[in-house]
Amino acid sequence: MVSPAIALAFVPLLLTLIIKYRYYFVLFYRAVLVRIWKDCVTGLSREERAFQYVLTNSTPGDPDSILDAFDYWCSKVEFISNIGPKKGKILDRLLLEQSPLTVLELGAHCGYSTVRIARALPLGARLYSIEMDQGNAAIAEKIIRLAGFDDDTVELIVNPSDEVIPRLRSDYNLERLDFVFMDHWKKCYLPDLQLLEEYGLLGKGSMIVADNMLFPGAPKFLRYLRKCGLYEWKIHRAMLEYSRGIRDGMAELIYQGIK
Amino acid sequence: MPVDTLITSENDTDIELDFAGDEDFQENHERQKHKGKRRNGDRPKNKRENQRRKRSSKSVQGIREESQSTTERRERRRRQRGKAEHETSGHQGNKGERDQTRVKTTKSKKNLKNEKTRKLEGKEDGEAQERSEKGKLKPVCAKNEEKIESGDQLKEKEKALGVKKKKKRKKVVETSSEPETSEESEDEEEVNNDGEVRPELLSPEELEKLKEAVDEKKKLIQSLRGKPWPMKQKLVTLRESQLFVEKYEGALGKGKGRKLYAYKVMMTKKWKKFQRDFENFKTACIPWEMKIKEIESHFGSSVASYFIFLRWMYGINMILFGLTFGLVMVPEALMGRPYGSIPRKTVPRAEEAGAMDFAVLWDFGGYAQYSVLFYGYYNNQRAIGWFKFRMPLSYFLVGVGTVAYSYMVVIRTMARNANESGVGDDNSFNFSWKMFTSWDYLIGNPETADNKFASITTSFKEAILEEQESRKDDNIHLTRFLRVLANFLVLCCLAGSGYLIYFVVRRSQKFALDGLENHTWWERNEVNMVMSLLGMFCPMLFDVISALENYHPRVALQWQLGRIFALFLGNLYTFIIALMDAINLKRKEEKVVKYNITMWEASLYNGTGSENSTAPPVTIHPADVPRGPCWETMVGQEFVRLIISDTMTTYITLLIGDFLRAVLVRFLNHCWCWDLEAGFPSYSEFDVSGNVLGLIFNQGMIWMGAFYAPCLPALNLLRLHVSMYLQCWAVMCCNVPQERVFKASGSNNFYMAMLLVILFLSTLPAIYTIVTIPPSFDCGPFSGKNRMFDVIQETLESDFPAWFSKVFSYASNPGLVLPFILLMVLAIYYLQSTSKSYREANVELKNKLQMQNEENKKKNKQAALKAQMDLEEARKSACQTAELQRNNNASVQRREDDEEIYNKNQRMYHVRNPSPSVGDREPHFPVRGPAPRNCHNGNHGNPRYLPGFHQQSEPRMYRVPSLERH
Repeated sequence: MVSPAIALAFVPLLLTLIIKYRYYFVLFYRAVLVRIWKDCVTGLSREERAFQYVLTNSTPGDPDSILDAFDYWCSKVEFISNIGPKKGKILDRLLLEQSPLTVLELGAHCGYSTVRIARALPLGARLYSIEMDQGNAAIAEKIIRLAGFDDDTVELIVNPSDEVIPRLRSDYNLERLDFVFMDHWKKCYLPDLQLLEEYGLLGKGSMIVADNMLFPGAPKFLRYLRKCGLYEWKIHRAMLEYSRGIRDGMAELIYQGIK
Repeated sequence: MPVDTLITSENDTDIELDFAGDEDFQENHERQKHKGKRRNGDRPKNKRENQRRKRSSKSVQGIREESQSTTERRERRRRQRGKAEHETSGHQGNKGERDQTRVKTTKSKKNLKNEKTRKLEGKEDGEAQERSEKGKLKPVCAKNEEKIESGDQLKEKEKALGVKKKKKRKKVVETSSEPETSEESEDEEEVNNDGEVRPELLSPEELEKLKEAVDEKKKLIQSLRGKPWPMKQKLVTLRESQLFVEKYEGALGKGKGRKLYAYKVMMTKKWKKFQRDFENFKTACIPWEMKIKEIESHFGSSVASYFIFLRWMYGINMILFGLTFGLVMVPEALMGRPYGSIPRKTVPRAEEAGAMDFAVLWDFGGYAQYSVLFYGYYNNQRAIGWFKFRMPLSYFLVGVGTVAYSYMVVIRTMARNANESGVGDDNSFNFSWKMFTSWDYLIGNPETADNKFASITTSFKEAILEEQESRKDDNIHLTRFLRVLANFLVLCCLAGSGYLIYFVVRRSQKFALDGLENHTWWERNEVNMVMSLLGMFCPMLFDVISALENYHPRVALQWQLGRIFALFLGNLYTFIIALMDAINLKRKEEKVVKYNITMWEASLYNGTGSENSTAPPVTIHPADVPRGPCWETMVGQEFVRLIISDTMTTYITLLIGDFLRAVLVRFLNHCWCWDLEAGFPSYSEFDVSGNVLGLIFNQGMIWMGAFYAPCLPALNLLRLHVSMYLQCWAVMCCNVPQERVFKASGSNNFYMAMLLVILFLSTLPAIYTIVTIPPSFDCGPFSGKNRMFDVIQETLESDFPAWFSKVFSYASNPGLVLPFILLMVLAIYYLQSTSKSYREANVELKNKLQMQNEENKKKNKQAALKAQMDLEEARKSACQTAELQRNNNASVQRREDDEEIYNKNQRMYHVRNPSPSVGDREPHFPVRGPAPRNCHNGNHGNPRYLPGFHQQSEPRMYRVPSLERH
C-alpha cells in the first residue's frame, strides 16, 4: 500500500501536465466532445451545421464575408480544421507571388480553403479541388457557388486523391500544375506527392504548399523532403488554426526537378 | 586625405628621378598610370590631375631630400635603361615593361584593404619589378643563357603569384621580348621550369635572388590571411608559394652549409608538427573533452556548461576522495586494529544473523555499518601502526581540510570567472548585440542550427515588439501582475512541498518510535521517496509557471534556478531538522545504555569476584558487549542512504522520462494518428537548471555528511563518473535541442555562487554538531573526549614542545584574535571599496569612449555631407562656365540676355549651395558684372580649363584643405 504522502508528491506532476498541455485538452474538448454532443443533439453533421451558419450569416457572392463567417463559427462555436485566417494569410501571399494558372487542391473539406485560394487567383486561372467524402463535397460545392465562383474557375472532383491524380493528365488535359495545396489526410501527403512526381505534373518552379506539418504532422513527408533533394523547401511556423498554444507549420516546396 | 598626398609624393619622386629627361620612361609611366586608373576606377580623375600637377611642377624645382634608397633605385633604373637601349630597340623594352606594369596593376588591384598600405606595397612592388627587370634584361648580356634563364623563370614564377593564366601570358611575353631564342630553347625553358633547379649551377648572385624570392614567399604566406582576396585565390596562392618554398628552400646555402640548412628546415617542420600533435594530445588528455564538444555542437553552450560543471565537480571530488581515502580510510584499514578485535569493530550478536543480507547491506547496515565506511568503526587510539599515525587527529584535520579546500576552490573559481565576464551592458545596444553576437558558433548540428536560427528570429521579433511596447507602455501592468502571480504560485508550491515533507518526517518519527520492523518498505522509505519525488516534479511545475512571466530565457533560467534552490534548500533543512531530532533521541538512549553498561559490568565483576577473586578477568566476545547507539554513524548512514536514493531517482528518471519516452515516440510514431515527434509528447529537452541544482545539492550533502561517513566522497565520485557517461549518452540519444538555444556565458558564476551558498549552508549544521554535541562514548575516533575538537588540544599538549602550546594559547587569546579579525574586516572593506572605484572608473571610461565614438561619427558624417555638397556645387559651376563661355563666344551682343540666364543660374546656385567655403576659393577672379555675383562665379575665366573637360578634379583638389580646416 503506497502511503498517501507519496501519492501527494505526484500532485505537482499532474498540475504540470495539465498546465503544459492545456491547449491540447481544450482542443480535444472542442473538436471531439462538443462535436459528439452536437451531433447527438441536432442530428446534423458538423459540416452541415457550419454551412447553415454560413448561409445565414454571410453575403452571397462575397468570398470575404463567407470566410469571416467561417472563421467566427470555427473559433467561437465549434472547431473545424480549416486552414484558418493566419496561415491563410501566408497562403494568400504565396499565391499572389506565384500567380499560378493551374492550381490543384487536395482536400476541399467544406470549401473554406477552396474559396480562399480561388479568391487570390489571377484572371483566367483554374482551380481543381479534390474531395473524397460525398457529404463534404456537396457542402463544399454549395459554399463555392455561394461565394460566386463558377465552374470555369473552380472544378470540384469527388474522388480519393490517389485515384484522381493519375487521371489528371488524361481526363482534365492538365500538362503542368503551378500550385498544389495539400490539406487532406496527413498520411496521404507523401504518396500523393510521389504520384504527382511520377505522372510529371510538376514542372520546374511549381509550388506545393502542405498544411498541418507539425500538428497533427506528417513526419514521413518531412523525412522524404529532407532526403530527396528535388525541392527547395521551408516551413512557415505558425499556430494551429483557431487555437493559441499549439504550434503548427506550413511547408512551402518549390519543385526544382532533377539536376 | 592621405591617399592624395601619398600619390603626389610618389609621383613627385618619380619625376625627380626622371628629371634627367627620359621621355620614354615618362611615357611608360603614364601608360602604367593609365592602366592603374582603369583598374582602380574610383579615382581616375584624381590621378590625371596629379599627373598634370606633376608636369607643371617639372619647371618648379622642389627642394626635397633624397633618401639612400631612392638614389639607389634611380641608379639601378638608369643602368637598366642604358642596357635596354644598348641591347634592343625601345619597342621591345616597352613591351617588357608593359607586361610589368600589368603585373603591377594587377597586384595593386588586389590590395584594396588599406589605401595607405596599398601605396606602400605598390612601392615595394615597384622595387620588386625593378629587380625582375634586371633579371630579365641580364640574360641577353650574359653568355650562359640557359642557366640564367632558369633563374629568370624563377623570377617570373614569383611574379606570377600562382595564377596559371597569368603564367601562360608571361610565357607569351617572354617569347615576344626575346625573339632570337629558338623554339628549342623554349622547350628547354619549360623543362627547366618543371624540373628541379640545380643549385650548384647557380651563381652566388642568383642564389641571393633565390633566397630573396623564398623569403618573399614566406612573407606572402604569413600575410596571406589578412589579404582581401577571394578564398579561392588565397588557397591557390598559398599552395603555390608553399610548393615554391619547399622546392627551393633546401637549395639555398652551399655544400655543408646547404645540408645544415636543409636539416634545420626539416627540423623546424618536424618541431611544428610535433607541437601540433602535442596540442591534440593535450586536448585528448582533458577528460571527456571531445564528448563535451560534441554535445556543445548539438545542443549549444548552455547544455555543455552543465557538463563542464559536472567535470569540474568531478575534479573536486577526486581531491576530496584522495584526502579521505588516503589519510583516513586506508590507514585505519591497514594499520588499525582488525575487524572483530573490539566491540565497535564487530557486528553485535543480535544483528549477526542478517548482517550479510543484501537488503541490510543495501541499507548500509550489518557489515557495511561496522567497517571503515562509517565513523563508528574508527578507534580512539591516539597513534596507530609502526610509524605512529595520529588517527583521530588525521580524521579531524581531513574533515576540516576538505571543507576548507572546497571553499578555496569555489571562491578562486568565482574570482576567475568574475574577471572573465567583465562589465557588459546588454541594454544599451540591444539590437547590435543581437545582430552581431547572437549566433552560437559552437553549434555543429543542422537541427540545432535551425532551432538557433528560429530562436534568433523570434528574439528579434520580440525585441522589436518590446521596443514598441516600451514606447506604448500599456501592457506593463499585465506583465507585472503575471510575474507577481507566478511568484505567488511558486511560493504556494514551496509551502505545500515544505509542509508535505514536514508531515512525512513527523510520521517517520512516529514509525521510528513504534519500531521500523512493523511497517512496510514504502512507509520506511517515505521521507526519501517524497523528497526525491518533490525534487523531481516541483521544478517541472515551476518551469510551467515561469512561462507566465515572459522573461528572457537566460533570466528565466536564473529565476528557475533560484526557485529550485529554495525548494531543495527547504527539503534539505527539513531533513536536517528531522536528523537533529533523531540525534537527540539517540543521545537519550545513549544515556540509558551508559547506565546499563556500568550496571552490567559491575554485575559481571561482582559475579565472578564472589567465586574466585584471583581468577583472570572474564573474556567476553566483543560481539556480546552491550554498546551505545552511536548517533554519528546513524547520521552518516542517513546521508549515504539519501545519496543513494537520490542517485537512483536521477537514473530512473533518466531512463523512464527520457529513454523510454524517446523509444515510445520513435517507434510508435509509425502507427499513431498524430506526429508524436513534433507534436504532443515529443522528445524531452535537457533540463539544465534542474540538473545543475541536483548536482549542487548532491555536493552539499557530501560536504555535510563526509565527516560522519568517510565513504561519501568515494560514492559521489562513482556517481559522478557514471552520470557523466549516462547523461552524455542520454543527451545524445534521447534529447532534442532546446527550442530557444541560448548562450550560457553569464550563468557560470551563478552556479558558483549557488555552490558557495550551499557549501556554507551545508557546513553550518556539520560544524554545529561538531562543536555542540559531545561524541558518543564508545564509538568513533573521538570517543571518551568531551568535544571532538579536543583532539587538537591533546596533540598540542603531547606531541609538540611546551613553548609551542604556550604560543598557541597566547595566539588563541581573544585579545589577539579580535584585533586580527578587525584587521581582516578592514582589509576586506578597503579592497572592496577600491574595486568599486575601479569599476566606476571603468564605466566612465567606457562612456567616454562611446561619446567620442559618436562625436567622431557625427563629424565624419558632416564632413562627408559637406564634401558631397562641394562636389555638386563644383560640378554645377563647371557646367555653367562651359555654357556661359559657349554663349560668350557665340554672341557678344546678346550679353544682356546672357546675363539674365546667368542670374537665374546663380539664383539656383544660391539656393542649392549656401556653403561659404566655396565663395572664397578664387577671390581674385576678373570682375565681370556685379561684384557679389562674381564671388560665386566658379571657374569661368580660368584659361587653363577647357569647357567640359575638367569637371570634377578641381573641386576635389580644393576639398582637402577645406576639410582639414574644420
